[in-house]
Amino acid sequence: MITALTGFVILLLFIVVVRVPIAFAMGLVGFFGFAYMQGLSFDNFMDFNWNSSLTMASKRVINTAQEYSLSVIPLFILMGNLVTKSGLSHELYRASYAFLGHRKGGLSMATVVACGGFSAICGSSLATSATMAKVAMPPMRKYGYADSLATASIAAGGTLGILIPPSVILVIYGLLTETSIRELFAAGFIPGFLGILLYLCAVRFVVWRTPEAGPCGEKMSWPERIQALNGVWGVLALFSVVMGGIYLGIFTPTEAAGIGAGGAFIIALYRRSLSFGSLFDILTDTARTSAMLFGVLIGALIFSNFINRAGLPSDLLDLVNNLDVAPMVVILVILAIYIVLGMVFESLSMLLLTVPIFFPLVQSLGFDLVWFGIVVVVVTEISLITPPVGMNVFVLSAVLRDVKASTIFKGVTPFWCADIVRLALITFISSISLFLPELLYR
Amino acid sequence: DTTLRVASWLPPTHPQNAVVWPTWAKWVEDATEGRVKVEIEYGLGHPKTMFELVEDGVVDASWSYHGYVPGRFKLTQAVEQPLLGASAEAASVAHWRVHQKYFAKANEHDGLEVIGLFTHGPGQIHLAEPISSLSELEGKKIRLGGGVQGEIGARMGVTAVGAPAPKVYEMMQQGVIDGVFIPMGEQKSLRLHEVARNVVALPGGMYLGSFGIFMNPDFLADLDAKDRDAILSVSGEKLSAMAGRAWDAADIEGLKAAQENGVNVVQVKEGEPMAEEFKALTKGMDEAFYESVADRGVDAKAALAELRQIARSYK
Amino acid sequence: MSFSAWMTAHYEEKGPVAWLAFLLELVAAITLFFMMMLTCADVFGRYFLDNAVDGATELTEMSLAILVFAEMPVITWRGGHVVVDILDRLLGGTVIKVLGLLSALLISTSLYFLAVRIHELAVRSNSRGEVTEFLQVPVGYIVDYIAVMSWATAALMISYGIYRLLFLSRD
Ligand code: NA
Ligand code: NA
Repeated sequence: MITALTGFVILLLFIVVVRVPIAFAMGLVGFFGFAYMQGLSFDNFMDFNWNSSLTMASKRVINTAQEYSLSVIPLFILMGNLVTKSGLSHELYRASYAFLGHRKGGLSMATVVACGGFSAICGSSLATSATMAKVAMPPMRKYGYADSLATASIAAGGTLGILIPPSVILVIYGLLTETSIRELFAAGFIPGFLGILLYLCAVRFVVWRTPEAGPCGEKMSWPERIQALNGVWGVLALFSVVMGGIYLGIFTPTEAAGIGAGGAFIIALYRRSLSFGSLFDILTDTARTSAMLFGVLIGALIFSNFINRAGLPSDLLDLVNNLDVAPMVVILVILAIYIVLGMVFESLSMLLLTVPIFFPLVQSLGFDLVWFGIVVVVVTEISLITPPVGMNVFVLSAVLRDVKASTIFKGVTPFWCADIVRLALITFISSISLFLPELLYR
Repeated sequence: DTTLRVASWLPPTHPQNAVVWPTWAKWVEDATEGRVKVEIEYGLGHPKTMFELVEDGVVDASWSYHGYVPGRFKLTQAVEQPLLGASAEAASVAHWRVHQKYFAKANEHDGLEVIGLFTHGPGQIHLAEPISSLSELEGKKIRLGGGVQGEIGARMGVTAVGAPAPKVYEMMQQGVIDGVFIPMGEQKSLRLHEVARNVVALPGGMYLGSFGIFMNPDFLADLDAKDRDAILSVSGEKLSAMAGRAWDAADIEGLKAAQENGVNVVQVKEGEPMAEEFKALTKGMDEAFYESVADRGVDAKAALAELRQIARSYK
Repeated sequence: MSFSAWMTAHYEEKGPVAWLAFLLELVAAITLFFMMMLTCADVFGRYFLDNAVDGATELTEMSLAILVFAEMPVITWRGGHVVVDILDRLLGGTVIKVLGLLSALLISTSLYFLAVRIHELAVRSNSRGEVTEFLQVPVGYIVDYIAVMSWATAALMISYGIYRLLFLSRD
């Protein structure tokens, strides 16, 4: 326990103070920690047999880079990027605006719904908020929305992307814990929609308190609304093909990523939004993001080898058994740890750092790992808008040069509270996440 | 006191982890009078990496499926050949003895101390829909592991789908595959009885699957001579037979689970049409095996004959 | 737009390094596109032609390694890995540069030694004749590719990566 915790503290110092990239920090601490468990000390540094630790790390690199089920990472990201390029985000926004725009705070609500719809295809929160910032910000400015509400609805809406399936983060969680990816996807639906609903409530709350923050837009007639819906058939079709194919057993979740990317490619061709140059941009952008994710993943696996060898998961279990507290108390402590970590880390690093430590404990306490996966993803979503380091907020203030991060953080507070309400609901009522997987697969 | 770290895979409830390793651990602790303790570690990666993790001392011992490393392990396929018609225990003992006598010198386990060899029980055909003739398998999507079953699948004309065993349940239920070649035990441990409601059990099964249990040679060398001898005395044929027995027991459990859950298990008898069909289908596989190991410098023909003789006459 | 203008617009790097970045990214892009088409062809073949693509799984696995490690040098020298920059405002530009230098050294050194071991494992794998199941491709080739690209990442990080950090970064 002491060894593993020391390793963890050194890792945090490396990441936060020395500013070493997370992937390499985890790899290095994991490597030397493992060597230490194999008998490395200051005296034998020169004539230590490094080969076993090196083989351990090398095998993680070699096998992770060739892990078939990880092929979903580049392919789902590619699908999202192709859809973004097709301009579907505009049409999603137009469709939600047609139905919601005339209400108080309506543009903000339309933004949340469009973000939710866009997330259904795109697995990345950052991409969602960056894209929607370009689409939704100009109309909200035009109607005189307060910057705080306008930007916050984009930053918060963007976090929906990692829970509503397909989701790269859920895939990675499934791999780390050997949980069915199909069931995780099914479990993400209702909590995802619950998120949209609660965000809409948050918008209502803001305009109730300060009506001038979110004036009404124009009301559209029904023919206009139907016409606006016409624009979103592409997203709907793609989403139906991907999720329907998985559900009906036409292909596996792994293959669904390739099919989804292929479908998005066809949509992009059909809409004539691709040239050789832009296709090259989309492919290389996807490849860069994927390589970065693989780096972090490999580092986390090397680090988890050390954590396991140091016996942290089993020590934690002993500790909990000795303390003799209710299992739900353990979960609440874990969630508190996540919210604290969420101040500093972004979602994926947090998940990779902690899941290998916590999931054996959660499993042995008798909790469902699919449910825990959803809880963890929701809590990591919250980290994206938790100060002082909220990635979605930073992305937004980078895209909109004239809005300060502090303004966005201020505006995000009601949404953050809505997220905490959702987290509590999902934690205490497990059937919110487990209803669909049980109905479909169990 | 010394800790012997064993890397394992498959869930802790699997017979290999619930029976084989704990039994051997007890043997080792008794034989060394408690000086060597065995500890099991999970989560070190894909089973195919176990060979090298042990070779380079990341852990001290482990086990793996030879078919995960095609090209390196060819002679171990002798025991996998069709129509052996023996239990896993009998086949495992034969596997060990023939390896010691014929195959060890080819050094396929280079860098490792082999302390046991065993096979799973006979592989059978598990399907969503029933069949009355093997020819109906043509074009069906079947999950195949590597090695001998790949060859049998190719001869049957199935559409091979590759996937790790734990994914089989999901793929069966979704209909991504129509069936799988796998031992009877998986009716229980992979819950196949829920999704593969039809089993065709050919007499003696279609093929076997070869596993190795191995240790790091340096770890053994660093031990006291008496502890080393003690560990080796509870390994080898004794360990191989025990492992085979455990996998046989898993097959019996699997058959029981299948029958209790109303799975349609067709036990094909010797001489019945499907058994004859299978015999005709696998004609020439012995020769293909000799051919594939020609570069190994061993008398494969004599070895296979002796393997069959030992396995079939095992008490 | 002419090709060289396109290159200048797309790549912050200059001269041969820009060409190297373009080449590596071209490999990654083609591989990714191939992976997409391969999965579609495999599923399509399985349903409509009763014939899946032989070894599709293996091809996907190899493509994944090619994709990730073609891109690895580029994202590394550009400082594209995830960094927690929470203390940046406290630290100031010089300290950040020094820390960046330290990171670059750590990354290059660790990748160098790791690549040595990966290369040794590749040689060992090839000497034992390990091949993939369906296509019988020697396993060591891809492993050696990973080793070579790790060396390339280390070398480019210690040279161009540091040059970029010290002289080209905008702040
Ligand atoms: Na998503
Ligand atoms: Na945060």
